[in-house]
This record gives sequence, structure tokens and C-alpha cells, in this order.
Amino acid sequence: MAKMKMKTVRIIALRQDRKRLLEHLQDSALVQVNQSDTSRKGFQRVNVSPQMQVFERNVDLTEQALKILEGVSPEKAGLLASFKGRREIDPDEIGEIAAQAKDVIEACTQIVELDKQCADNAAEQVRIKTQLAQLESWQKLDIPLNTTGTRSTAVFIGSLPEQYSEARLKEAIASENPKLEFELEIQYSESNLTNVVVFAPQSQKTMMEEALRALGFARPMSPTHKIPKEKAQRLREKSESLLSADKQAQQEIAGYADMREKIKSTQDYFRFRSDKYNVINHLDHSKHVFVLEGYVPEEDCEKLEALCNRVATCVVEFGDAGDNAPVKLKNNKFAEPAQGILTMYSAPGKTDVDPTPILAFFFYFFFGMMFSDAGYGILMIIATGLMIKLFKPDKKMKNNLKLFQYCGISTTFWGLVFGSIFGDAPASLYKLFTGTEVVMAHSVSNLSDPTPALLPWPVIDPQKDALTLMIISIAFGLAHILVGMGCKFAVCIKQKDYPGAFFDTGLWMLMLVGFAVLAAGLVGPSVLMTIGAVIAIACAVGLVLTQGRGKKGIVGKAIGGLASLYDITSYISDLLSYSRLLALGLTTGVMAQVFNMLATMMGTSIPGFIFMIVIFLLGHVINIGLNALGAYVHTMRLQYVEMFSKFYEGGGKEFEPFSLNSKYIKIQEDK
Amino acid sequence: MTYALFLTILGAAIATVLAGIGSAKGVGGAAQTAMGVLSEDSSMFGKMLVLTLLPGTQGLYGFIVGFLILVSSGVLNGAPEITLAQGMAYAGASLAIGFGGLFSGIAQGKAAVSGIAMTAKDEKNFSKGMVSVTLVEIYALLAFIVSLLVVIQVPNINA
Repeated sequence: MAKMKMKTVRIIALRQDRKRLLEHLQDSALVQVNQSDTSRKGFQRVNVSPQMQVFERNVDLTEQALKILEGVSPEKAGLLASFKGRREIDPDEIGEIAAQAKDVIEACTQIVELDKQCADNAAEQVRIKTQLAQLESWQKLDIPLNTTGTRSTAVFIGSLPEQYSEARLKEAIASENPKLEFELEIQYSESNLTNVVVFAPQSQKTMMEEALRALGFARPMSPTHKIPKEKAQRLREKSESLLSADKQAQQEIAGYADMREKIKSTQDYFRFRSDKYNVINHLDHSKHVFVLEGYVPEEDCEKLEALCNRVATCVVEFGDAGDNAPVKLKNNKFAEPAQGILTMYSAPGKTDVDPTPILAFFFYFFFGMMFSDAGYGILMIIATGLMIKLFKPDKKMKNNLKLFQYCGISTTFWGLVFGSIFGDAPASLYKLFTGTEVVMAHSVSNLSDPTPALLPWPVIDPQKDALTLMIISIAFGLAHILVGMGCKFAVCIKQKDYPGAFFDTGLWMLMLVGFAVLAAGLVGPSVLMTIGAVIAIACAVGLVLTQGRGKKGIVGKAIGGLASLYDITSYISDLLSYSRLLALGLTTGVMAQVFNMLATMMGTSIPGFIFMIVIFLLGHVINIGLNALGAYVHTMRLQYVEMFSKFYEGGGKEFEPFSLNSKYIKIQEDK
Repeated sequence: MTYALFLTILGAAIATVLAGIGSAKGVGGAAQTAMGVLSEDSSMFGKMLVLTLLPGTQGLYGFIVGFLILVSSGVLNGAPEITLAQGMAYAGASLAIGFGGLFSGIAQGKAAVSGIAMTAKDEKNFSKGMVSVTLVEIYALLAFIVSLLVVIQVPNINA
């Protein structure tokens, strides 16, 4: 139910046992190994980085290969596949995987190679396409594009940046240089482009060139010695052959698809080895022994010692872990799922208590109050239960599912309190088929309502009793905040910070209680008002007297004390923040009601029936999605902002044992 | 009677439309940024979706107020019996969530954009970003509750 006690551990063992010992440590996941970069005096580091890099490269390679395989022949995975746990394998299978690793890596190299070919082909195709586009406008030409002329005639092949007819072009050239004698053929012309072949005597070649240049003449970008039509044909053939090569490569890649599982396990195998070598890199070695230092939870010490002595010749020493030890949390079944919520914020720091049980309770409680529908709650319980059963998810995912299962129970409870089962679905269906008016249940404020009710107990209807529910919400908020401050109180006492406990926390707690009593007096017996006021004023005086104690001089103390009373605004805003419990609870119910109304709009005819089912399903799915998200986010906010700010420091490091850290496979524990 | 009816329906419209505009702007901006992130790394879709949807609640609150106005005034049952004072009360109540939703939706959208940028840099920041973005939401919630308390009380107004 708390942070586990940590011990430091130092294992000194013979170098010849290193491999065996490390393998067992990795399997057992008992120790977090310290990773300092410098070695102590008299010891040396062994550099195994080159081997490690090979393993890491293999991990990358297999990852790449898997990605390519996924692109070519996607794995058939259901929508819910991400909930699935890692594949469990027999401990003996790891030897098999190691034996096949070489073949698998070869296959992966081949896959990556083939993929590279495909990429090259694609680039080539683009090049061919641009060339073809250029040749398109030269299709009529029956001499090669790079012809410059014969012995007596100069030939100019190229394009002009304007649209010309034959007559107009002749005119234009003649006006540039009237002495020129020439003949020309327009090959192609469109706006801003004219492809032309000009013939002129060799003797006028330079003159002609100048005249053409003045008009903006340019030779084709990639002149070939082939006739354009033939060249285009050839390019097309090449493109086709590339295409078929591509297809073949793709097929070949797809052929590797059934190796996917093997590739995955091989990847994990190399991941294990790379982790192990990373540890070796950080160990101090002497000529005959090596030293491994780290942290281990106190309750695992004996197990660790026994293990080490069984597999290696070694000395194991334990020591006090001190404040900087990593944090491992241990909680009972009820609270454990909320550990993820806590570590998402931050692991407990050195002075913190583990707030997981409190967090868990309020998380389930508030989530239920915001989502508040018995129908949705039961769906959540069933869905998460089925997923845990069917997919056998990993621990982390299982805890998440458990979290929502508990939230589902609370949601069901609050749904019954609010009288909401898929909104008012039972009542509106009853009304649709029988025509008699019913309500889900009678609200506490209106028990004499003559309409018959489906639920026999009185409910708090968020729509009719909004004010009541708001007061209830804020009262829960007060309880939540007081519990948070209670934690602070406990932490202060534990650290023997008595002024901090009684003056800074205790007085405020008492003051809040005073206000609560005062508020109760507003509706109840008026004597409570007096009591509450007295408590609050006494606390305020106490705060003014004590809060300036750090300051110098009487004036400083007085100002410090008075200023601290200003904190009351932050407590009020914290409390008001809990009105979201009402708002989100109401939202779920009203949205569901809207969809039920829409669904039953078309009456009891056959099309009306189909319409009803479609709208009902669609509407409630939308409502579940939106409001579950809202409830989750806002519950988390209430924990993080309103409660944790009262006492929780965070900033601890999580215990990360040296273990078989895998993505796809999980090695069964020996039974 | 007709003025009262007009004011009632105007109230429902103000609540739904103004808060809807706020959410549409907020979600729109956040979605644009999220798509930019997703084009680089599509595996973050779930987280991006959550952050994108956060400014969407204002529109929901506005819609609920609008809907409750229509229900409690009897417009939906086809038998509205509203006095002028009640109609004005509906219209007045709708202003709270209308404007509260409009501006908090836009502001929350901006916060969501930053949250998305932060999550894109490091996925571990997600929960912090998410909580920070919801800080804005309290103002929409307060506006919603004010509108709600008034709308629920309106049938009891006799003037």
C-alpha cells in the first residue's frame, strides 16, 4: 500500500560467470543497475560498444523490414489488436530464435534491399515520364533530335517561346536579318511554344544562329541521337519492364510475410542482447572480478542473493538506499490500476507518501458521478471484462482496462442514483409502445408526482434537482480537498515539521470545516451558523498570528499573516471547480435523452423501428465517446490540480529493473 | 404570447449558436495543428484526438441549454405557454453560456494547439498538456451552470 523499501546492492562476481549471472538477472528483473559513466580507481571498463551497435543495427533493420512488410502485405489485425498482450513463448524457444537469427537477419536485409530497388525504380519512372513529356511535341520529326546539319546545310532543331504559324515565323526571321536564306518546318505549336526545324546553308550558320537567338530559340533539353518516335517507344518499353520488375520485387517481399512472427521475435532477441551489453558497458572490471551496483526492493533481497549464489561465485552486499532511491509502488488490487494515473503525473518524491489508494477511490468515484449512466456503466464492465479475458493483455494495458472496469461499477452506481439507464431509454420505449406516460423515477424533490415510475427508489434528477446536486458536488469537493490536506498534515508530522502541520495545514482544514458547518446552518438549525462562524473566525485569527512567523519584525509578521488570508480565494475557486461534477453528470443524461427522443420520433412502424435502432446505436455511441472522454479528463484534472496541489511533490524516479524489455514476445515464467 | 415565444426560441438559438461558434473555432484550429503532427507520425492519433476534442464541450453545453429551453418552455411538445417575463428570462439565461462558450471555446482552442505542439515534441507531456487545456474549461462550466440554474427555475416565474 505504499512505496516499497529499497536497498542498494553490490554484487562482486568472477568474470567467467558474467554471462550466466547477467542472463539470470535479466530474466528475473529484480535489480535496477546503476549506470555511471566513470569507473572507480583500480577498475576498468570493458568496451563492448561495437557488439552493442551490431545488435542495435539488427533491431533497426528488423524494424525497417517489418514496416516494409506492413506496407506490402498488411497484417490482418482487428480494431482491438492494440489491446492484445505480447506473444508468450517457452523459455526454451529463445535458443531456437538465437539459432535462426542469422537467417532472419539475412531475410530482412533482402527485404530492405528489394524495397530500395522499388524506390530506385520509382525514381527512374519519374525521369522517364518527364522525358516522354518532352518528346511528346516532337513526335512528327523524322530525324534525330541532335542533328546539327549535313555538309552543306545547317539544321536547327529547337523551340521558340511564342506561337508562330509558318508564314509568321518566316517573316520574323527575315526581319531579324533580311540576308538569310532558309527553309523551315513547324513541328508543333501551342500558345507560348513553337517547335521548329530550320534549314540554312552552312555558310550562314552563325548569322542564322544569331537571328534565332534573338527570337528566343532554345535547343531541346535532352537531345538524343534517335528519332523521337523511336526514343519514346523505347522509353515506354523501359517503363513497362521497370513496372514488372517492381511487381516482382513486391511479390518477393510479400513472400516473406509469413516470416513476420520470426522477425518480431528476432528483433526482441537482439533487443535483449543489446540491453545486456549496455549493462556490461557500465560495469567495473578488474582482472578477475567485476562489480555490479544497483537498487533492489527490500522484499526481493533474499531472492536475489539466493539466485546469485546459485548461478555464480560471488559476494552480495546490501546497504541502505537513502533518499535518492528509485520508487517502486505496491498496491492492492483495488488501487493498483490507478498507479498509472499517478505516474503519469509524476512518481512520488522522497518526502511523499504514496497517494494511490486515495487517488484510486476518488478517481472511480468522480468518474462515475460524471459519466453517471447505469447502461453505459454495465457496458464498460462487460467490455473491459471481455477484453481482459480474450486478449490477455500485458500488465500495463490490463491495469488500464481494470481502471475502467472499476470506473464502470461506479458509473453504474451513480446511474442508478440519478435514475439514468441509457438516459431515459426504458421510459421512452415504454411510452412509445404502450402510450402511457411514465418517468424513470421520482426525484427526491418531487416524490408526490402522480405519473408512474419505473424505478422504485427516489433519485436525484440532475435536471430537476440541479441546485441540490451542486451542493452535493461541492461537499464531495470539500471532502476531497480535506483528504488532500490531511495527507499534507501527515507528511509534515512524519518530518517533525509541527508548525507546518498545525498552523499551515491544520488551521486551514479547520477553517474549511468551519465554513462547511456555517453553510449547513443556512439550511439547518441556525445554531450551526454560530458554531461555524466561531470556528472560522478563530482559525482566521490563528492564521493571522502564525502565518507571518518567517518574517522579521512585528509589522512584517502582521502583514504576512493578513496576506495569508488572501489564500481563501484559491480555496473557494478550488471548491467551485467541483461543480463540474454536476455539469458533466447532467450532460450525459441530457444528451442521452435527446438521442432517445430523436430515436422514438418516427413511431412504431417498420421504417420507424429501423430508424429507431440506427439512431439509438449511433447516438449512444457518440454520447459514450464524448462523455467518457470528458469524465476521464475532468476527473484527472480534479486529482492533479485540486488535490495534488495540496500535498504532492512528485519528482521521484520510477524503479526500472534490468529485465527482458521486449515489444512482441514474453517469456513464460517457470512454474 | 408571440413575443414570448420569439424570445424563447431566440434564447435557444443564442445558446446553441454562440457556444457552437466557440467550439467550432477551437476544435478547428486544434484539428489543423493535429493533422500537421499526424502527417509526421500517425501513431499519435489517439492523443491528438483527445486534445482536439477538448474545446468541443462548449458547443455541447450550449446545445444542452438550448435543448432544455425548448423542453421546459414546451416548444418541443407543441404546447408552449410562456409569459413575456419567462421568455425574457430564457433569452437572458442563454447569454451566459452563449458568450461564455464563445470566448472560452476560442481560448481553449489556442491552449489545445499549444498542448498539441508540446505533445508532438515529447509524448510524455501529454497528460500535462491535457490538464492544462482543461483549466480553461471551468469558465465554460460556470457559465453553463448559471444558464442551467436559470432555465430550470423559469417555469416557476409568475409575472
